[in-house]
Amino acid sequence: MRNVIIVIKHEIRNTLGKPSFWLTTFLLPAVIMVFSFGAQFLSRSAFETEEDVLSGQGETGAVAVGYVDYAGLIKALPPEIPATLVQAFPDEETAQAALVDGQLREFYVIPADYVATGKLVAVEKEFAPLGNLGTIDILRYIVSYNLVGDAVLARRIATPLFSVETTAVEAPDSNANQDYGTRFIVGYGVLFIFFFVLTMSSGFMLRSVSREKENQTVEVLLVSLRPRDLMLGKVLGLGVVALLQMAIWLGGSYLTLNRGGSALASFGIFIESITLPKGFVVWGLLYFVLGYILYASLLGAIGALAPNTRETGQFTFLAMLPLMLPLWLSSAFAQAPNDLLATIMSLFPLTAPTSMLPRLAVGGVPFWQPLVGLVALAATTYLFVLIAARFFRADTLLSSASMSWARVMEEFRKGSKK
Amino acid sequence: MTTVKVSHVSKSFGEVKAVQDVSFEVYPGEVFGLLGPNGAGKTTTIRMMLDIFRPDHGEITIFDGKLTEDKKNRIGYMPEERGLYKDLKLEPTLLFLATLKGIDEATAKARLEPWLERFDLTGFRQQKVQNLSKGMQQKAQLIATLLHDPELLVVDEPFAGLDPVNTRLVKDIIEELRQQGKTIIMSAHQMHQVEELCNRILLIDHGRNVLYGEVAQIKRDFAGNALTIEGQGDFTNLPGVLEARRHNGTWNLTLDTGVDSQDVLRAIMRQDNVKLERFEIAEPSLEDIFVTVVQRAGHEEAANA
Repeated sequence: MRNVIIVIKHEIRNTLGKPSFWLTTFLLPAVIMVFSFGAQFLSRSAFETEEDVLSGQGETGAVAVGYVDYAGLIKALPPEIPATLVQAFPDEETAQAALVDGQLREFYVIPADYVATGKLVAVEKEFAPLGNLGTIDILRYIVSYNLVGDAVLARRIATPLFSVETTAVEAPDSNANQDYGTRFIVGYGVLFIFFFVLTMSSGFMLRSVSREKENQTVEVLLVSLRPRDLMLGKVLGLGVVALLQMAIWLGGSYLTLNRGGSALASFGIFIESITLPKGFVVWGLLYFVLGYILYASLLGAIGALAPNTRETGQFTFLAMLPLMLPLWLSSAFAQAPNDLLATIMSLFPLTAPTSMLPRLAVGGVPFWQPLVGLVALAATTYLFVLIAARFFRADTLLSSASMSWARVMEEFRKGSKK
Repeated sequence: MTTVKVSHVSKSFGEVKAVQDVSFEVYPGEVFGLLGPNGAGKTTTIRMMLDIFRPDHGEITIFDGKLTEDKKNRIGYMPEERGLYKDLKLEPTLLFLATLKGIDEATAKARLEPWLERFDLTGFRQQKVQNLSKGMQQKAQLIATLLHDPELLVVDEPFAGLDPVNTRLVKDIIEELRQQGKTIIMSAHQMHQVEELCNRILLIDHGRNVLYGEVAQIKRDFAGNALTIEGQGDFTNLPGVLEARRHNGTWNLTLDTGVDSQDVLRAIMRQDNVKLERFEIAEPSLEDIFVTVVQRAGHEEAANA
């Protein structure tokens, strides 16, 4: 055990002593925040959203939407649309004059054959391809309302993805009532942090094992340590590093949210409304630790088999693929965190570490789901550690044989015999 | 009492029989040479001795018993493929490896100082290993092997990559360790180094014991198998001669087993274009014996095939 502790200390010192660790820990989130928030700030300044228009926060106080209805569809406005928001014009010339006078920012022409074609013509002062994203939805909503004669149905036509209705059988969870923007940023933030810390810390394991193989240090180490003790020391040492990185990122996120509250409020995201559910930290810790051990063992086994890091590419990608899936589906996760896809992925052990936590952060997850997910994850982690240990042997660590699927199977069979 | 006892040990990797029925003993305070051509099974034998690999058959005892974790701390091992963390600084690397051998960091630090001085590496202690020359890395590896003051030292090719000055230094250290009562097992290709340092040797070829015993006795046993000749003419391609090498005008002939030196003399005298000035039965060098034994084993294998 003494030597396992020495390896733990060595891995911690070694990883924390590398400038690349600190650069990645601090620079990567900064770059991503600059790109994601920066892009949103830029787009925000380029066009106004539906909510801005609805709240009457138009840029010059002019009537936001004018229209010329050649189809004769608009007879009434939905109850929640203020009459001052839209103005009807009898023809294009009148509307054009109002646009030139500054009474309008833009107007729409509803052609006589709109019902057949669904095409609107937008007329603006300046060409702005994204500038009418908010107002065009309002106009379509008004037209739909007049066509179907029902506000609820018209909204469903406008946003079909939000048509899922959930009924709480327990006391309502305040988090489930968070609006879309808040839900997205919380869910995406948690998903992002868990994904990156898990992939990075598992990557440290792969590099650590590969480095000892490439430097041929492993033969010296094996005279002092059994291969499984070496693996244990590495997993635990790099686990401490992973927890530190997680603490830095979560702490950084907390500070950013607190300090950047006013900036986020301009996106319709109100920090006060972000409340993580009870027990989230405990669930988070358990899912993270098990997820880390699972993937670190897996990548450690790949490192033990491969003669160098260059040959690990496709194997590492396949091993980490389940962690990436929720990231690729993050939008669907944020929109419907409790639908079938998100639920299955958060219960499936390999995708659970990055799927369950974002759902828990958003709220509304029945208690049995994280519990079942955790038990399945613990069982799978145990199984994967046993499998990884079969590959983590002196003969594989000292071998310079190339990596291939045939070899993986062969070494697995050899490991089973020992 | 033996420091190492290897009894009828075998090890296969798939279809390849790396070591077959190898046996030898190493006694306290001796320098033991483990010799053999590339791929003979030396490294596999060493790895089994150190419990890195488990033998398929046979038994190995270290310090009169099974190799336990505590006993591992009494062993220093320098593998042929040198292994230091290239991206780490020299001092922390050496301290890490020493602490894995059961000593605390303060003791390791105190012991490190004189070794760095002796190997002229004091100024490089905070340099990354990758910035050191090959010779310096070799010396650093030797420090890593010695820092925990082992009782048994296993060194594979200790002189590889060293210049003559540092080769001399390493030889002196091996001699000092022997005088301190340490046991040393060394594997080397340079036969004159083995001859100079080792009390006893084991020659392995194709995974089998082919020669085992005291160096002096082995040389006596093979004494009739070497000739020193001076003269004019061609002394190659003589019957019964395994190898003929010319050095500074003197020919060294290695004879096959069972060949009488008088038959070789008669064969030389039968040649018209030869003028013989000196004909002497020589004590063979370990290198001559090595070549004889390995070639003979090769011939026997070819004959059996």
